[in-house]
Amino acid sequence: MRPGRRILGSEHLAGWVFVLPATVLIVLFGIIPIGWVVVLSLQHNDLLAAPTWAGLSNYRELAHDPEFRDSVRRTIVYTVLFVPISVGGALAVALLLHSEIRFNRFYRTAVFVPVATSTVATGILFNWLLDPTYGIANYLLGKVGLGPYGFFQDPDQALYAIVAMTVWGWLGFDVIIYLAALQGIPADVLEAAALDGATRWGTFRHVVLPLLSPATLFLVVWSTINALQVFDEIYVTTRGGPLQATTVLVYELYNQAFALFHAGYAAAIALVLFLITLVFSVIQLWVGNRRVHYSS
Amino acid sequence: MRRRLLLATALVAALSLAAGCGGGSGGSSGGRVNIVLWHGYVDTEGKAINAAAALFNKTHPKIHITVQNYGNSDYALQKVLTAIRGGSYPDIVYLYGSWAANVARTPHAVDLAPLIKSDPSIHWNDFWPAERQAVTVGDKIIGVPALVDNLALVYNKTLFRQAGIPYPTASWTWDDLRAAAEKLTNPSAKQFGWAYVNDASEDTVWRFDALLWQAGGDILTPDDKHAAFNSPAGVKAATLLQQMATVDHSIYLDSGNDNYANLFNSGKIGMLFTGPWDLSQFPDADYGVQILPGDQNHQTISGPDQWVMLDNGDARRKAAWTFLKWFTSPTEAMRWSLATGDLPIRASETKLPAYQAYVKKYNGISTFVQNEANALKARPVLVDYNEISQAMGQAIQAVLLGKAQPKQALDQAAAQVNQVLAQGG
Amino acid sequence: MRMRLPFSPRHLALVPISALMLLPLVWMFVTSVETLDQTRHFPPTLIPSGIHWSNYSEAWNQAPFGRFFVNSLIVTGTAVASNLLFCSLAGYAFARLRFFGREVLFIALLATLMVPFQVIMIPTFLIVQHLGLVDSLGGLIAPNLVTPFGIFLLRQFFRTLPVDLEEAARIDGCTRLGVLFRIVLPLSLPALATLGIVTFLWTWNDFLWPLIVITSTDHSTVQLGLASFQGAHDTKWNLLMAGNVMALAPMLIVFVVAQRWFVRSLASTGIR
Repeated sequence: MRPGRRILGSEHLAGWVFVLPATVLIVLFGIIPIGWVVVLSLQHNDLLAAPTWAGLSNYRELAHDPEFRDSVRRTIVYTVLFVPISVGGALAVALLLHSEIRFNRFYRTAVFVPVATSTVATGILFNWLLDPTYGIANYLLGKVGLGPYGFFQDPDQALYAIVAMTVWGWLGFDVIIYLAALQGIPADVLEAAALDGATRWGTFRHVVLPLLSPATLFLVVWSTINALQVFDEIYVTTRGGPLQATTVLVYELYNQAFALFHAGYAAAIALVLFLITLVFSVIQLWVGNRRVHYSS
Repeated sequence: MRRRLLLATALVAALSLAAGCGGGSGGSSGGRVNIVLWHGYVDTEGKAINAAAALFNKTHPKIHITVQNYGNSDYALQKVLTAIRGGSYPDIVYLYGSWAANVARTPHAVDLAPLIKSDPSIHWNDFWPAERQAVTVGDKIIGVPALVDNLALVYNKTLFRQAGIPYPTASWTWDDLRAAAEKLTNPSAKQFGWAYVNDASEDTVWRFDALLWQAGGDILTPDDKHAAFNSPAGVKAATLLQQMATVDHSIYLDSGNDNYANLFNSGKIGMLFTGPWDLSQFPDADYGVQILPGDQNHQTISGPDQWVMLDNGDARRKAAWTFLKWFTSPTEAMRWSLATGDLPIRASETKLPAYQAYVKKYNGISTFVQNEANALKARPVLVDYNEISQAMGQAIQAVLLGKAQPKQALDQAAAQVNQVLAQGG
Repeated sequence: MRMRLPFSPRHLALVPISALMLLPLVWMFVTSVETLDQTRHFPPTLIPSGIHWSNYSEAWNQAPFGRFFVNSLIVTGTAVASNLLFCSLAGYAFARLRFFGREVLFIALLATLMVPFQVIMIPTFLIVQHLGLVDSLGGLIAPNLVTPFGIFLLRQFFRTLPVDLEEAARIDGCTRLGVLFRIVLPLSLPALATLGIVTFLWTWNDFLWPLIVITSTDHSTVQLGLASFQGAHDTKWNLLMAGNVMALAPMLIVFVVAQRWFVRSLASTGIR
């Protein structure tokens, strides 16, 4: 049946009707507040006294601010490490869990626990685990002849320790996404590949991975957006230190807004972060659209 | 004053936007004025504030005060900021002393200077000098003292006995501190002589400030226009820290302020520079309290917090002032201290009979009270103070981690501070 | 790998992984049954010095936790339901329908996730205030009714479904709404269950927003209630952890139950 003009027109209408409720809500609670932030970034504002107009001077100041540039660098280093490790690790764990072995439910719940645990509890736990003097990590590493390491106390190691902590905290989240996606792979597809003489690795590479690519794209984009905004875990452990080694963008932003009362400047930082994130996401989605395999 | 964790918050008092200016569910009803107070008290202090409010309401029928817990005091300022923006805010709020200069910038904060001048019944000079300095921003006075504390030397008597060292005396010097810390450090037992908060926050800085003042130095020049902490006195103080941390290895560097108290309680740390708020965390340690070891003097540092009044109109302002006068009067303040263990906020409280009971109840507290007389200098009450603090904190942290030399680190911080001050805040 | 083990080799990897992941829960539980003085040790021990179940009842009674649980459940339940509905509608449109401005709108909605909440919390608060929802459960629910995360997630999942089923239904005269509800959603239970779990998790654990919007204890949530154990100078770790364990329980229950839907038995094969 050839779609007539009427149906084509109604597809546009249907599309907009479907997205309307969500769009209205997100415009109200997402877009409008961001507009306020844009205005704030053009002001000298400490949220206490009356603001003064700054024009673009906050942005100009940012361009010359070495601390800002350092925080951008640290954020990108963190993101580039966090995303592949957590997404790749989650895939591995999801494959391990995608089976009928005993205690599987227990394992799945266990993997999910860190995701459900509050950041405060996680911070205390890691502060203790990685304490250079009293922590278990150095104790165990000492048994195999390594260490002792400074972890959160060493400016050269702190950021990597944060990567480890956040991977631990978020892995379970990615795992359940992958588990759900693995459900979507029909067993007969795998059987057909086996019948065709494919090896397990070959099946994995050429059948399973492509079929998981929509989930992978989702996780990569989502993890990137989150990694660029990492804050809570740093706040409960290193507080941006030592020697600012873990002062990432949102931490710098938070400091500017709420410790130094430069809310306008912080808003400018937020918008630069927004642009960085947008660029990353658009690139990833564009690459994804070309390489992701949706079912036929 | 200790800092705790978590994200920023903001709070608004009431829902009556439709009703116009709600003003924190206060207002008048039939001749009685309703006022609202926000605080961060929990537990013992929480019970005490509720009891105080009840007593006040009973004895002052024309005023009714409602006390509300706003969560953690760390976020009080953000809550107040949002509340002010929302047009609905309390009459009295508990705020940290370090925010005084910033709070003074909002037109909603009541300047108490005229009230204090015209109303001698507040006995303003009865408050400790450090408290009065902390609430004075230029010509304005933006709060009534709520809490005062200071840093003293808390030591583990058991560890001292085991190491065969006599307990610290009131005439201890820095050399005594260093020698004792070395003797108390035992790497195989994972025991340290001293603990220092090394997260580059104000917690790191204010301990250093005490050392700086003891060596005769100052944070800023008298006109508040240039840094002065990189003077020889400052370098001397920083060098002490450097030597103890990187040469003697006698300091446990806490990356936050969570661990040292538990470690002290577990008998792993010999000495602390800390305040009365920590004492309840040492149930297992046989501790003693002494004034800080000194250099040219034994000065200490005080960290007062205050009750800030926000303007909700004449009637409520008057009612709030009445409450604060009552609440900080010697009798009520002493009642509070006895219940909570907080230090007396007025010098005259030490003469009250209840003071004896107080000193008996809280082991070691009398030294802290006496030590308040050593709190002669205060940190600058400036809008830019937090930037100054961060620059100094980074410098001290670098020195303690062995990543910088004292003079260079302090000079670098001073250059940063001078730049900030030159920009006029 | 042809190892002859009496059990699957997967256990070799999963046991240490699970142990590492469960560590915080173990610590939380141990702390929750100690007395406050017993918690004042560092390094903390993983073996409790005594078992004091009374911490749980004390924590429960210190604040009206019953009320907090009810509030949290209402807010979270509503957020989960509305997200499932609105994200399904929008996700389907982005996945299957061609409409003017689709890609731009998608990026725009996704972009709202790219600004940290610390910055937008004040304007969001002002909006909620204009709606008259301050200090009410409605104020807690409103900004959480739909999240672009859910739209993105479902868009990806819907696209993996074979489109012929939907086309066949359309040819048979089914409306697009019908296709969504009768064909697509039943096939998307894993994705929906996942979205449900995640929305439940975020809304249940949300601390910052409730702290801003709620003032009265009547409308407080569980997370706010937990904060009352944290004083400015001292934290009652044993009660706080007891509270945390209690707050964690519904989360884990939901997860275990929802596993039925997003991890179906591998024995079921066939056309999906």
